[in-house]
Amino acid sequence: MEYFLELLINGALTGLMYSLAALGFVLIYKSSGVPNLAQGALVMLGAYLTWYFTNAWGIPIFLGIAVAVVAMFLFGMLTERFLLRKMVGQPIIMIVMLTLGLEILLRGVAPGFLGAAPKSIDVGIDLAPIIIGDIFINRGYLVGAIVALVLVAASLLFFRTRLGTKLRAVSDDHVSSWAVGISVERAIAVSWALAGASAVAAGVMWGAEQGVDHNLAALLFPAVAVVILGGLDSIYGVVVGGLIVGILGSVIPGYVDPLVGGGTRDVVVSLIILLTILFRPHGIFGREDIERV
Amino acid sequence: MSSEALKEQPAAETAPLLEMSNVEVIYDKVFLAIKGVSIAIRPGDRVALLGANGAGKSTTLKTISGLLTPERGEVTRGTLTYKGENILGLSPPERVRRGIVHVLEGRRIFGHLTPEDNLLAAFPTRGSGRRFQQLKEQVFTYFPRLRERSGTKAGYLSGGEQQMLAIGRALMVDPELIMLDEPSLGLSPLLVQEIFGIIREINEQQGTSVLLVEQNAAAALEIVNHAYLIENGHVVMSGSAEVLKQNPDVQEFYLGGTGKVDYHNVKHYRRRKRWLA
Repeated sequence: MEYFLELLINGALTGLMYSLAALGFVLIYKSSGVPNLAQGALVMLGAYLTWYFTNAWGIPIFLGIAVAVVAMFLFGMLTERFLLRKMVGQPIIMIVMLTLGLEILLRGVAPGFLGAAPKSIDVGIDLAPIIIGDIFINRGYLVGAIVALVLVAASLLFFRTRLGTKLRAVSDDHVSSWAVGISVERAIAVSWALAGASAVAAGVMWGAEQGVDHNLAALLFPAVAVVILGGLDSIYGVVVGGLIVGILGSVIPGYVDPLVGGGTRDVVVSLIILLTILFRPHGIFGREDIERV
Repeated sequence: MSSEALKEQPAAETAPLLEMSNVEVIYDKVFLAIKGVSIAIRPGDRVALLGANGAGKSTTLKTISGLLTPERGEVTRGTLTYKGENILGLSPPERVRRGIVHVLEGRRIFGHLTPEDNLLAAFPTRGSGRRFQQLKEQVFTYFPRLRERSGTKAGYLSGGEQQMLAIGRALMVDPELIMLDEPSLGLSPLLVQEIFGIIREINEQQGTSVLLVEQNAAAALEIVNHAYLIENGHVVMSGSAEVLKQNPDVQEFYLGGTGKVDYHNVKHYRRRKRWLA
């Protein structure tokens, strides 16, 4: 029973860490309608930049994080200016391929320039687990889960503001947004900038846990599972999807891995993607396209 | 100012708000959609562009609002000035800031947003909260039905309500020229009458100029004071609504016929005069 509870709790926390990585995906989709397959690389780049600024400039970690947030914010704006602006009005498949290309490029370029060997980020979290009864809880995951919830709450508030409303309008219809004077380009730039900034949070929390290297970009996979399950444009969905993916991805391998020798987690994650698309294509909270009869 | 006074003023005396001169538009570098269209709109005017499917009416509106780009359309000839300024190089949002707003064909409201959020999305970022409340109240006064439905997602509104929302949303930018593309599309005759009446009210109370694109020529000619007839990418006729209504060819082809033409011999029917001299 303790074993199950431990898997459950740590799975839930890991799941919220996935939510953190997936948040940028939803921010972009909800505000511009673009499925951003470069999300994994953004998280990796956020972690790399934090490590770089902290070490190369010799500044405290939290200052390093702040600089990385600014840098990723700018990176997001530039992505819009030089890549996505050309794609306004183009078929969505071209934009998907463009973000995929960006993901692959960054996965190669960031380790190439900043070093492929794993680096460590120390955000001052005690490595010793919290022990409640016989259950061991990972402190880093706990902090990451809290950061995730805070950013989710901030995103919810943001989409209620005037700017947030304009961004939601843009995701609904680019042309009619343009027709009423919304600068579609700027809205997309803002959404990428925010996604870049949130990717730093994800990169730092994951980087502190497992080290900073190209493996961080592999978070794209669970992040995509989270958003497909939760709904591509739902902030609530990020939390619920994250919890489900995290818990299933922890409990099932916890019992099955010893029997088959490991690797079940990826199977679980991919089954979640496949089954969601088969049985509930819009995810749990995703919006369905409104069809009036 | 009353519309009667405007109608009697000769065109030359007021400087036009918008002047489109000899404009040619090509889509995808091959398809010639309009071939030298010239129109002028004076402040406070209500103008209609009439014509059949594919005549070039929507293209004319998109040229004015700048929405040709997403459809790979390009202005290859001619000039477009708004209050004397050349606006051909401006992006659509820049044109909206100057006072031109385009209500797209098929309504195109933000279906996943509530009607109120639709209005908020269109309201300029820099405007004050008080101004937003004012404009919103104004929209709800013109279209009381929107207030009743303000809690539901706009995608679930009826066609007529969506059209009202599309017009209301355009009013949030405080336009000087509102362009409407087929607002009557798919609506019942009664609803068309209601919406056209409100368009006229907006024009008379706010002084907003109106450029109305319609296939429903009969309804449009009831509320405008000037109209252009477009065929095959050319303006083939223009004049006051009264003059156009009396024209036998317009009656025959756009107002449902006078019954004088024998349709068995329609192949041999010749127009009394060529449009283009």
